[in-house]
Amino acid sequence: MKSSETIISLKDITKIFPLEMGGAQQVLFDITFKVHAGEFVAIMGPSGSGKSTCMNIIGALDTPSGGTYELYGRDITNMTSDELAVIRNEYIGFVFQQFNLLSKRSVLDNVMLPLMYRGLPMHERVSRAREMLKRVGLEKFESYLPSQLSGGMKQRVAIARALAGDPKLILADEPTGALDSKMGHEILQFFKQLNREMGITIVMITHEFDIAKYASRLIHIRDGHINYDGPVPKNESVLQKAKKK
Amino acid sequence: MTFNDILKESWLSVSGNKMRSFLTVLGIVIGVMAVVIMVAVGETVQKQITDQFSSLGTNTIMIRAGAAQSGGIRTGNRQTLTTDDAEFIAKLPDVMAVTPVQNSGAQIIYGNKNWSSSMVGAYPDYTTVQNVEMEYGTFFDTSAVRNASTYAVIGPTTAKELGMPDNPVGEVIRVQNTPFVVIGMTKAKGDSAMGSQDDMLIVPITTLKKRIQGSRFPNAVSMIALKLYPDADNTIATNQITALLRDRHKLKDDAEDDFQIMDMKQVMETMNTVTGYMKLLLIAIAAVSLLVGAIGIMNMMLVSVAERTREIGIRKAIGARERQIIIQFLSESILISFMGSMAGLLIGVGLSQGVGRLIMHYNVPFSAWPVLLSVTVAVVVGLASGVVPALKAAKLNPIDSLRYE
Repeated sequence: MKSSETIISLKDITKIFPLEMGGAQQVLFDITFKVHAGEFVAIMGPSGSGKSTCMNIIGALDTPSGGTYELYGRDITNMTSDELAVIRNEYIGFVFQQFNLLSKRSVLDNVMLPLMYRGLPMHERVSRAREMLKRVGLEKFESYLPSQLSGGMKQRVAIARALAGDPKLILADEPTGALDSKMGHEILQFFKQLNREMGITIVMITHEFDIAKYASRLIHIRDGHINYDGPVPKNESVLQKAKKK
Repeated sequence: MTFNDILKESWLSVSGNKMRSFLTVLGIVIGVMAVVIMVAVGETVQKQITDQFSSLGTNTIMIRAGAAQSGGIRTGNRQTLTTDDAEFIAKLPDVMAVTPVQNSGAQIIYGNKNWSSSMVGAYPDYTTVQNVEMEYGTFFDTSAVRNASTYAVIGPTTAKELGMPDNPVGEVIRVQNTPFVVIGMTKAKGDSAMGSQDDMLIVPITTLKKRIQGSRFPNAVSMIALKLYPDADNTIATNQITALLRDRHKLKDDAEDDFQIMDMKQVMETMNTVTGYMKLLLIAIAAVSLLVGAIGIMNMMLVSVAERTREIGIRKAIGARERQIIIQFLSESILISFMGSMAGLLIGVGLSQGVGRLIMHYNVPFSAWPVLLSVTVAVVVGLASGVVPALKAAKLNPIDSLRYE
């Protein structure tokens, strides 16, 4: 690890959803872990394990029912939705499975979007967005619409958008889920490169072990509990045998 | 987000769905256009009425013979007014000029042409009371009235219809076999509330009564017209005239007036009130179409918010605050209503001015009213119809919105 600076600190996080018919369902139980600067962490689990809820909380899209969450030293557990929006804008770069680009805006406009909400002047937005597009190798496509690009290119635009805000953390939710395996591999290699060469902290959510293998640390969640947290094992069967903490 | 960002974002969204935006804008165009045209119609009517009255002067009072109404039945045109009444009224301090007026139809013959017009018998003060100006020649004087001279002052339309020379002074015309010497022609005045003042023959009242009507009561007149001094109070003068006439006609206290006083100022005020209400009614009807247009914007914005749920989710995920989402959607609806209002203003003003000038040959008054109205509509309608959809968009949960297909 290049630095021991703590980016994410989750302590005893629980999440309970009220059910429409009455009663409630608890999907996260006492989730506790830390992510330090420069780490590439995969959070893995089968569907329904609570990993998406966990990601929403890490991504400041949702607040936990219990426990505390500190992002880069700031307790964001009880922030209002507008305060969370500012946190997301400044600290987190999102990469989604479905790319989530604005379809009627150019590639450059898409990359500049987080900078607009931050209130940067136009010339800074343009120069920063161009720099990011260059980094993902799409500098020649800035005036294209997302629909004119391939899936892998779209995901690289999304990565450029995530990087544009100079975040403390890239949060990738199934980033290869909508790509074929060759393009998926390219994107994951790119993440690895960003992590190694630029020291960017990445948290990636996935349900596939083959994808989790690109990370350096793996947190496995099952039924709302962490049942493995450590270096990525060679074999998936290790995870199946691991017991709930 | 700077103003430029807001403008660019709204323009991209609005222009992204051209057909829908066009139809929504059209609703506002029609609404604003209708209001602008109705305002123009209302103001034109009001201006015409005001013009007509100001050509007479609002300090004019007309007195007609006969009671106003009695038990729902008009008592007829009893000739209760006389030239003597007029001369007594002339002595009142507020009265500047008085003339008795007697009207008659007249078949005028000049050479081999004839023309049916109206004939007015009056005093020389008629020129002051009715603001008559002379184009050629002179108006007759008091001695002409005294002598019942056969002098006539002709209106320009009448002279033209009879095929008289440009300057008809000195020509002789005949009415009922009585020859009249034309001694003057009035200046063209245009139409007024009292009918055309350009198509008439004005003669001394004595001449009309004796030679044309052959009346047994040469002093009786159907009307007395008078003009007050500019600083006189119409109501006080009216009361004085009423008292004077009641006294002269020896009316008992409980008897009704045997004459009607028409105060032009009051008449104009009444007309103005009536046309004011008419204008309001027209605008109110037009405003309904504007309201429909506003509902159209709100409807489109609500659909737009639903369709763009995912976009809103993306924007929120990457850091848009609620206020920024609200501003985005509000500015879209304001942009639509702004474009509609401006187009409606241009088309409305263009149509009302064009139709007025080219087809009706009338100078439609141009006021700042429609401009102010359109700008207000642009902002108010935009805000009012955008606020509900914008709040709806801002309150969307980013997690659910991102999952929205």
